[in-house]
Amino acid sequence: MLSSTTRAFLTLQAILAVAGSVLAAPVVAAQPLPSTPAPTAKDWASLGGLPDWSGTWVPDMRDQGMQETSNPPPWTPSVAAEIRQAQAEEAAGAPRGLFINCLPEGMPSWMLISHNAMEILFTPGQVTLLGESDGNRLRRIYTDGRAHPADPDPSFHGHSIGHWEGDTLVVDTVGVLPETFIAISESIGAPNDGDMHVVERIHLVAPGVLHDDLEITAPHVLSKTWKTTRAFLRHRLVRDAISEGVCLQGFFAEGKDKAGHAVFTPVPQDSGGNVAPKG
Amino acid sequence: MTRWAISGMALATVSVLGASPAGAHHSFAMFDPAKVVVLDGAVKAFSWTNPHVSIQIMVKPKTGGDPQLWTVELTSPGNLTRAGWTRTTLKPGDAAEVTIHPLRNGEHGGGFLKLKTASGQIFVGGSPGPQQGVS
Repeated sequence: MLSSTTRAFLTLQAILAVAGSVLAAPVVAAQPLPSTPAPTAKDWASLGGLPDWSGTWVPDMRDQGMQETSNPPPWTPSVAAEIRQAQAEEAAGAPRGLFINCLPEGMPSWMLISHNAMEILFTPGQVTLLGESDGNRLRRIYTDGRAHPADPDPSFHGHSIGHWEGDTLVVDTVGVLPETFIAISESIGAPNDGDMHVVERIHLVAPGVLHDDLEITAPHVLSKTWKTTRAFLRHRLVRDAISEGVCLQGFFAEGKDKAGHAVFTPVPQDSGGNVAPKG
Repeated sequence: MTRWAISGMALATVSVLGASPAGAHHSFAMFDPAKVVVLDGAVKAFSWTNPHVSIQIMVKPKTGGDPQLWTVELTSPGNLTRAGWTRTTLKPGDAAEVTIHPLRNGEHGGGFLKLKTASGQIFVGGSPGPQQGVS
């Protein structure tokens, strides 16, 4: 004979079981989540037919500097006025420092103004750019035929899909955070303000020289599509390989805590992003 | 013998000196490209840290007085490694001659141009490497 308390408990259990089964029942038939198939031996072998982009690619900074004045972006009039102001401030020795907060340069500034090297990896269905700094930066370019998501999550580097036209990798990028700069130097540039579309044609122009031909459309800050090219120079020494580059590390010094543990301790910086103490 | 001296000279142009050092994340416009200062002193610290390596060097003023601390900013460890540096290129106590563009505001800091070590080795920073790359 069950007590009334036990009967009540069992009744409650039954109610919860029924409710649980109703709540857990799928509303629609389960759809398999998208997955990436395992590459075949043929997929791996086909990478051997791609151009040789091995080594370490160092941006041609002299060319970067020349591009700053020879082919500036077609800013809208209001942004052009802001740029002139920023240039005047820099000329007066008070640069704005677009990246001193150590947030990633992102797209397209990584390709436009970075001073740091990158490596390029080919794997089945994907080209990956690895870079120093930003601790460390990464671009994934999907070459497996997928389309952009209908509504990509905005990110610093956006969503990139690519395909090969001969020995040229054609890359299409959308979904870049509106705060990400279109920069022509580390102190001159403007946020893209959203809806930016970047098309790149990346190709060798000599065995050791890689060009990235960019077409940047940013309707809120550019009056028309900006076409520009950046060059990268190949290095092959072992010492040339990209190394860890954690930008935020510069905000800290190596120290000890009260227990004697090795810890990072904050160090002050000035408005220009320097850690230089006053002598 | 360690020489303690600061020699400064204003140049009409910096073209003879080549490009400014490569910064990882900020403009070097806070340094005055029209001025070059040679800091001849003793290394206090060599900080091999991203995004900018720095050298702290004690320099005795030419006019006399106690050695003063100067801090020199360079490019990143990665860029310096590609230019032939290591994190032991300088050590505390080393005599060194460091050529800089000084801070515009007159404080004792600057952007790096060139290092001459006690043994006479010359180091520059942020070299973009062979202009045509290598195959």
